[in-house]
Amino acid sequence: MPKLDEAQKTARIDSLQEELTKLITAVRTETDSKKKRKMIAQIGVYNRKIDTLKSGKLLSRETKRDLIAYSFIAPNFIGFCVFTLIPIVFAFALAFMNWDGSNPIQWAGLSNFIKLKDDVFFVAALKNTIIYCVGTVPLTMVASLALAIVLNQKVKGRGIFRTLSFFPYVASLVAITSVWKMLFHPSKGPINNILYTVFHVSQDKLPQWFTGGLVLFSMILFSMWKYMGYYMVIYLAGLQGISGELYEAASLDGATTWQKFRYVTWPQLSSTTFFVVVMLTINCFKVYDVAIMLAAGGNGTLTESSTVLVYYIYQKAFIDWNLGYSSAVAMVLFVLVLLVTIIQFRGQAKRDRV
Amino acid sequence: MKKKVLSVLLAAAMMSTLLAGCGSDAGNSGSSSEQGAASTESSSAANTESSAEGGSESAEPVTLKWAIWDESTTPYWADLKEAYEAAHDNVTIEMVDLGSTDYMTVLATELSGDGTDFDVVSVKDVPGYATLVQKNSIMALDDYIAKDGVDLSKYAGATDQVTVDGKLYELPFRNDFWVVFYNKDLFDAKNVEYPTNDMTFEQYDELARKMTDTTFGSQVYGAHYHTWRSDVQLFAVLDGKHTILDGNYDYMKPYYEMVLNQEADGVCRKYTDLTTEGLHYSAAFSGGDVAMMNMGSWFIATMIANLQSGEYDSSLCGNWGIVKYPHAEGVEPGSTLGTITGIAVTTATDTPDEAWDFVKFVSGEEGAAVMASSGNFPAIMTDEAMDLIVNLDGFPTDEASKEALNVANLYLEVPYAENVSEINSILDTYHGSIMSGEMSVDEGIAKMNEEVSKVLGQ
Repeated sequence: MPKLDEAQKTARIDSLQEELTKLITAVRTETDSKKKRKMIAQIGVYNRKIDTLKSGKLLSRETKRDLIAYSFIAPNFIGFCVFTLIPIVFAFALAFMNWDGSNPIQWAGLSNFIKLKDDVFFVAALKNTIIYCVGTVPLTMVASLALAIVLNQKVKGRGIFRTLSFFPYVASLVAITSVWKMLFHPSKGPINNILYTVFHVSQDKLPQWFTGGLVLFSMILFSMWKYMGYYMVIYLAGLQGISGELYEAASLDGATTWQKFRYVTWPQLSSTTFFVVVMLTINCFKVYDVAIMLAAGGNGTLTESSTVLVYYIYQKAFIDWNLGYSSAVAMVLFVLVLLVTIIQFRGQAKRDRV
Repeated sequence: MKKKVLSVLLAAAMMSTLLAGCGSDAGNSGSSSEQGAASTESSSAANTESSAEGGSESAEPVTLKWAIWDESTTPYWADLKEAYEAAHDNVTIEMVDLGSTDYMTVLATELSGDGTDFDVVSVKDVPGYATLVQKNSIMALDDYIAKDGVDLSKYAGATDQVTVDGKLYELPFRNDFWVVFYNKDLFDAKNVEYPTNDMTFEQYDELARKMTDTTFGSQVYGAHYHTWRSDVQLFAVLDGKHTILDGNYDYMKPYYEMVLNQEADGVCRKYTDLTTEGLHYSAAFSGGDVAMMNMGSWFIATMIANLQSGEYDSSLCGNWGIVKYPHAEGVEPGSTLGTITGIAVTTATDTPDEAWDFVKFVSGEEGAAVMASSGNFPAIMTDEAMDLIVNLDGFPTDEASKEALNVANLYLEVPYAENVSEINSILDTYHGSIMSGEMSVDEGIAKMNEEVSKVLGQ
C-alpha cells in the first residue's frame, strides 16, 4: 500500500464516509431482502476501509484475524492440496489422455470414455457395484436403526450387547473374512452342513457362497454385519438427543408404539439418517477390500460376477498400466457418487423446509 | 442458491477425497512393500550416489542395486551375490526385496517416471516383462550381447520367445518346467503301477481315477490342480500347434472337461474349495492324500529343503518321485510348459556397463552353476548342472525321476506379445469363471475368444 500524506488521507476518508452514508440511507429504503443483505455486507467493507486508513497500519485488525485463522487451517489444507486436490485434478485431466507412467503423455480426447461402454469388465464392475450399494445401504440402515432402538431401551446386559454389535466393525477385516469363509465353505462349512443335514439339500445343489450369483449376496450380508455396529452408535447418539417430553406428549395423546416411532422418532432422526445414508453410500461405492477378501481366490483376481469398480481401476492402472483409461473409470465412479450426493442433499433440504 | 451449489460441490470434493483414499488403498499392497524398500534405500543412498560418480572406471567401487523377491526363503539370490562379489572386489551388490506376491506390480511402480535408482532387476514373468519393455524401463541388451559375444543358442530357444521387435531386453537365468509329482507310498498302498514318463492324457486320467478313494476319513485324491490357469488350461498348448495368444481357445475344451469331470467324481479337490480355503499346492501335496500333482520344477527344491528341515512329514510325502508331463496322442513325450525368470538392466542406471557385467554373470554359466548347487534349474542347462541337481541329497533316486528332467519341447507359459498383460488378465478371469461353475466350458471359452479378439484387434 503506497503511503499517503495526511491531506490525501482525510480526503479519501471523507469520500468513503460519504458513500457510506449514501449506502445506509439506501438500505433503509430497500425492500428486496437479498439486495439488502448485500448492501449491509458492503457497509462492513467501507467501515473496515475507513478504520484501516484512520489507524494507518498496514493490516487492519480484521485482516490479521483472518490471516491467523488461515494459518490454523494451513497445515491441513496444504496436505489436502498436495495429496488430494492436485491428484484429483490430475486424474480429471488424465481421463482424457493416454499414459503408462513412463512414456510421454498422449492426448486421447474422449476415446477412453467411448471405449467404456464396450468394455465387458467395466460394465460388469459397474453393475456389481450398483447392486452391492442398493443391497447394502438400506439393509445396513434398517439393521443399525433396529439395533439402536433395542439397545436404547433399558434391557439387561445392554453394555455387553452394544459392545458385541460394535465388535465386527473394529475387528480386522482379514481375520473376520477368514472366519466367514470357514462358515460358508462350500463343502466343509457349517452353514452348508446344516442345509445338507437338516434341510436335505442335495450335495450338488448346495449354495456356492463365493462364486456366481451368490457372491454379491454374500458380500452384502457380510458388509451389513460388519458395518451395522458403527452406524448403530451414530443412531444411538441421535436417539439420545430426542427429548423425552415428545414421547410423553405422544403417550398423553394415546399414541401406540408404532405411532410414536413413526411420528416422533423417525422425523427427529432425519438428520442422523441423512448422515448415515450418505456415509454408507460412499463406503459402498468404494468397496474393494470386502470383494477381494471374500471373492478373489489365491491369485487375487475377481471374475465377472464379483468385480467392482475400484478393483477395476486398480487393475487397469497398476497391472495393465493404462492410467488414462483407469482415470476415466474413476471419473465414472466420481460422477455416480456426485449424483447420489446431490439427490440426497436436495431431499434433505426439502425435508428441512417442511 | 449459489451457496447451495457450492456446498454440494464441496461435499462432492469431500466424497472424492474419500474415494481417492480408497483408490490408494487399492495400491496399498504395493506401496507398503515400497516403503520397506525405501527404508533400505535411504541407508545406503549416499553410498550409491558416491559410487555412481565414478561410473565406468572399473577399479572404482560400484554399488549395484538389484530388485529381487523372497530373499529369506530363496537362497540363490544371496549365493549369486556372494559369488559375483568374490570375483569382483570393487562391486557391491545391494539386494532390495520387493516380496513375491505382487512383485511385478511393485517393480513397475518403482520404475515409473525417472526417480528410480535400481540398476539391475529380476523379471518374474513375461506379462511383467512386457510391461517394463513398453514403459521403457529396461534396456535392450543386443549391443552388449553382440560386443561380448554371448551365445544365445545356449538358452535353447527361450530367448526367442521373449524377443520384442528383434530386440532382447532380458536374459533368462532360471528356467523352470512343469512335471508331475507323485506320492509313491500311495501307489504302493493301492498296488498300482507308478506313472511313467510316457503317459497319454487318457492313461493319466485313468490312473488318477484308479488312485482315488472317496471313502470319508481316508480320502485319496488321484490328482490335484492348483488354482492357477496354467494348471489346467495349458495342458492344451503342449501339442505345439496352439499358444495362448491365438485368440481362439476352442482347443482347451477337452482339458477343461477332463478336469471338471475329475472334480465332479471326487478325483481332485474342488476349485471353489481351494479358492475359499486358499490352500497352497505345497500343503496339498505334503498332506499325503494327493497321488499326483502337476507343478513346476521349482517345487523340487522346496520338497528337498522342507523334507530335510522336517517341515513336511516324511511319513506322508517323503517317498516321492517325478515324471514327465502327460502328452496328447501323437505328440512327442517330454513336451512341457516352461517359465523363465530373467534379469535385466534398467534404463535409469548410472552404471550400465557394470550392471551388464553382473547380468552376464548371473545368466551365464557361472551363474548356472550357482543356481544348480541349490537345486534350482538354470536357464543354461549343462550336463554338470543336471548332475548337480540329480545327485542332490533328497532327490528321488529312481531312474524315471532323473529321466523326467529331460525336456523334449519347452513352451513358455506366456510367450511375449504386445498385449500379453491384458490377454493374461482376461484368460485368468474366465478360467476362474469356468472352474467355479459360473459359466459352462463352452460359454467361458466363447467369452475368452470374444474378449481376446477385441484386444488383438486394437
